[in-house]
Amino acid sequence: MIRNGRVYEVFARKKRADRFEHVGAVSAPNEQLARVYAWQTYDEAKWFEMTVAPRDAFAAVNRPQAPFTLGAPAGRAAADSR
Amino acid sequence: MTESGFRSAEDLPEGVSEHLSNLMLTLADNKRLLGIRYSDWILGAPSVEAGIACSAMAQDEWGHARILYAMLRDFGHDPSALEHERESDEYHSSELLDRDVASWEEFLALNFLWDTALSVQFEMLVESRYEPIHYKVRKLLEEERFHFDHGQGWTSRLLGAEGGRAALAEAFVAAWNACVCWFGAADDPLISTLALHGIVRRGADGARARWLERVGPLAAATGLVRAAEGGWAATREPVWEGYGTRRRRTAGGGPDEDSLARVRGDRNRALLLD
Repeated sequence: MIRNGRVYEVFARKKRADRFEHVGAVSAPNEQLARVYAWQTYDEAKWFEMTVAPRDAFAAVNRPQAPFTLGAPAGRAAADSR
Repeated sequence: MTESGFRSAEDLPEGVSEHLSNLMLTLADNKRLLGIRYSDWILGAPSVEAGIACSAMAQDEWGHARILYAMLRDFGHDPSALEHERESDEYHSSELLDRDVASWEEFLALNFLWDTALSVQFEMLVESRYEPIHYKVRKLLEEERFHFDHGQGWTSRLLGAEGGRAALAEAFVAAWNACVCWFGAADDPLISTLALHGIVRRGADGARARWLERVGPLAAATGLVRAAEGGWAATREPVWEGYGTRRRRTAGGGPDEDSLARVRGDRNRALLLD
């Protein structure tokens, strides 16, 4: 009955002056849960700011398939598929 | 606030100190037991992510309980005795937490309805004139924001799933009365005294209304709440039979044998440090 829903990419930065870094991904049934899961899964730093976006919202620019759209399971960061 | 604050339990007016320590013990016990119920779902939650969320929430609850037990020292209690020495009927935790949770829907009744009821009572302490607690409450409520989002996110997920609504509604109905009564009757002497002295911001009815405001929009789909003028109203009259103001629960008894052993740490009693 319950499917895990969409994959959301997670980005965070430690200080306001930092750029966002891609810290990983979560699977969630909706955006509200994606926010909770991201915050509680990637708690290795005291983040100043964290944000999530659905993987399927990213558009490839110079390659036919961008890392985010490869459809790898959540939890395997995009770095795995580089 | 123009009224001055109280820096310690000693400064509290006659009678207030006992009511406040009772409230704090009630909140601490509920958080300790709720943490156990959350931890039971670290394995067995619907996804790895949900399991991690249960683990994080359990840690939060235990942390909050720890802080509250430690603060009770100011009221002349021995935190270690409170944590490890009491019998079941001395616990002030809700009857909803007396035994294992059987399903994810029942878990969500605790996560969405019960945890929110606890947070609403903490909200009432944000500007408390008992200063030692209001410093702690803000951080606690920041963490609880994610517990609410987890409960709300899953509740809305199940309400939208075929076959999900009926099971969820059943679990919510079963937990409802304990939640509604927990805030106390309108004239609850304990909460009224605390409100009168600015220890809590609002009395029992005010806190209950705030809780309905938070859970109402989703709980309405289960028929337990309806939109009313200026907010939300419960559709059922609370059943007060057996309710005691001191332990704030509708039934006698307390945590079952297994829960009591876990909450007190009986298995490792020999390793307890002074």
